[in-house]
Amino acid sequence: MEVDRRVFIASLGGPAVVALMDHEAKAEALEHYMEEKLDEMVAAQQPEKFPTVAEIEAQIETRPYRRGAGTVFTGRGGENVKKLQPMPAKPTLNDFFELRFAPANHVLQSATRAMKTGMSEEIILACLLHDCVLSLIKPDHGWWGAQLFEPYIPEKSAFAIRYHQTLRFYPDEEAGYEYPDQYYRIFGHDYTPPQYIQDTYKMLKNHKWYMEPRLVTVNDLYAFDPNAKVSIEPFQDIIGRHFKQPKEGLGYDNSPSAHMWRTLARPDNPL
Amino acid sequence: MTTTRARFGLAVLAAVAASAAAAVAQDGKTQTVNGLQVGVTGVERAEKAGLKDCPPGTNTVNAVQRPGDELAVVTVSFKVLPDFKATPMKRPTVTAADGKTYNTSVQLVDVGSVPQYSCQFIYRVPQGTKLKSLQLDTATFDLAAIDK
Repeated sequence: MEVDRRVFIASLGGPAVVALMDHEAKAEALEHYMEEKLDEMVAAQQPEKFPTVAEIEAQIETRPYRRGAGTVFTGRGGENVKKLQPMPAKPTLNDFFELRFAPANHVLQSATRAMKTGMSEEIILACLLHDCVLSLIKPDHGWWGAQLFEPYIPEKSAFAIRYHQTLRFYPDEEAGYEYPDQYYRIFGHDYTPPQYIQDTYKMLKNHKWYMEPRLVTVNDLYAFDPNAKVSIEPFQDIIGRHFKQPKEGLGYDNSPSAHMWRTLARPDNPL
Repeated sequence: MTTTRARFGLAVLAAVAASAAAAVAQDGKTQTVNGLQVGVTGVERAEKAGLKDCPPGTNTVNAVQRPGDELAVVTVSFKVLPDFKATPMKRPTVTAADGKTYNTSVQLVDVGSVPQYSCQFIYRVPQGTKLKSLQLDTATFDLAAIDK
């Protein structure tokens, strides 16, 4: 086993603390440290034990918020929320990406992959937008997301956003979509999708646009790279061609989803 | 005369090369596919396997074994050759001993972006399935000998 000298010394409290230790104490500390590291390595090789639905449900009352709350309403990692920058008077999609959806790494990665694998512009756009609504709300995010963007994007992109949520529960090896372990973790390994999801899946299997949401799920699966460097710039042309930016600004165009954009713009409003 | 001899020599060389290529294909060793030198280096079974594109990134999502099936992990090495030209490549499939074909969700993306790499293609197969071959584009790799 390799021991990182700096990490080891830091674990003991730094060089000053180590200087005060005699040889025997140092040897003992090193032995303890190596035992701990070995335990960690063995644990990492064990198959992960996924929670059950009941275990996940038992966590509900351990949180001061509900899991379905959008990310603009909750602090990261249990911390307090931060003050948000105000939106411009006539906000655009780019403004929302920068000021409310950021860092948006997952959707940018997903769209980047869709672009690299030669998907249609409607699919690339759907990949770019498919999880943005998680800033507002999480349950049924496919439906909420489609509703948010529907007035501004092609019908196929909205269809893909609405139904990717359903297809995430159903593997399709032919299309290249595998059920992710992440879902065992967040829903429970014994989770069964509710009846309306099962019914939606049945409908989708026979739909002529089945592949639109399916391709979003395929790109979704591969968009969890913590080290990926991505930006919205490569998508500006696609946004320009397919996103109907209202001249009044998102939230002020009286569209059926304008109120959703306004809520995202001002999540600190009490009413 | 010299030209005829040279032509004959070239023809012999070409025939030898072709037969060598065929022999390589039968052995399941490296083959050239779209300017990539490709070889299968291993077949394993796993309970959990990382879903990464090929060439691999650091995606953290995994596939997990379900009751009755297992994940066959086929490791394939790639080397980008000087005559490589970027063309979209389909995902490789495997054929089992019973003739059934299985797909992987691992996709080939930007295959020329790294000079040399190794990828793991994950196949969800019924437990106990023996793999016969891997098909990547026009090349077929024998897996029977290495899928113990």
